[in-house]
Amino acid sequence: MAESAKVARIIDGCKSGDPESFAQMVDMYAGRCYGYFYRLTGDRDISDELLSELFIKLVEKIGSYKGGVFESWLFRIASNLFHDHLRSRQRRRKLLDARRFELERVSDEPRRSDAKEETLDKLQVQLNRLDPDTRELIMLRFHSELSFKEIARIRSEPIGTTLSKLHRGLKKLREFMER
Amino acid sequence: MGDRSPEDIKALFGRFFDADEAEAAGEDMRAGEQIFRTHGAPAPDGELVDFIKVQLAARLARRRRLALAYRGFAAAAAVIVVAVIALLGRGPAPPDSPNVTYASIMPTAVWESDDVTADDFELIYFDSEIQRIEAEIRALESGEVNVAPAGSVEEIELELIQIKAEFWKG
Repeated sequence: MAESAKVARIIDGCKSGDPESFAQMVDMYAGRCYGYFYRLTGDRDISDELLSELFIKLVEKIGSYKGGVFESWLFRIASNLFHDHLRSRQRRRKLLDARRFELERVSDEPRRSDAKEETLDKLQVQLNRLDPDTRELIMLRFHSELSFKEIARIRSEPIGTTLSKLHRGLKKLREFMER
Repeated sequence: MGDRSPEDIKALFGRFFDADEAEAAGEDMRAGEQIFRTHGAPAPDGELVDFIKVQLAARLARRRRLALAYRGFAAAAAVIVVAVIALLGRGPAPPDSPNVTYASIMPTAVWESDDVTADDFELIYFDSEIQRIEAEIRALESGEVNVAPAGSVEEIELELIQIKAEFWKG
């Protein structure tokens, strides 16, 4: 209860444009949001970028927060940012596909992404084997610490669908991790 | 998060799955939590966190400056609107105020003439006549020329006065 009162006080400070309140907000949520972005992208640079963007969005949008579970509101923004990132990556990929000929020539050289993958931990490697939607659902659950009801609301789907997808995803992840 | 406790999760899954599936789902959930506890995600770099804070402070300062500027513009706009309304509220000025009289230093005929070219020629002519007569007077007075018959100076002076009078009559 004391924690929620503290969060409410910080949110009020943010709404009145107090930089100190925003700094406190960063201290409170940077770790969880960073973990969420990192586990979804597996890339620290992209996670850095997304985390910065998230807090900038927070400054812009805090006035529109009208109560309710703050984490739910914050992770909805985080989820939207991640989807924007995916869309822009897909656009880039299409551009690259159009220049496949050049890429094939480059593919003879050692691949940078392979080298990067070696630095990923086991969980990240196995998470990357899941489909993006399931991966995001699991990340929302474990990083946002939201209830299933809130997660279902963020994803605009029935709670039964959320539970079913999460169960299948976790089962698969467990199997991958035990191999 | 009430439904995060194992009992709530079991109950929640029990609403959508049969007992065995609900049990398995609960077990997978606990195993998943254990996996995430064991393999914690990396934390953001301290420098990144500091950079974000600086970025946010700069953005807030810029927003504050913009807000002040907008308020200034709004105040200026309000002053202009009030001034315009006050000016329009007075209505048009009376065409001829009885307290004001107008006088001209130029002859009316010249002032009202539209024929600028003709006026210019007349001015040049009168000016040259005056200069010629003045030169004659100076010459007569200095005795450089032959003495004119008596009364010629007076005649010239009269002629000069006449020309000047004609000029100002237009």
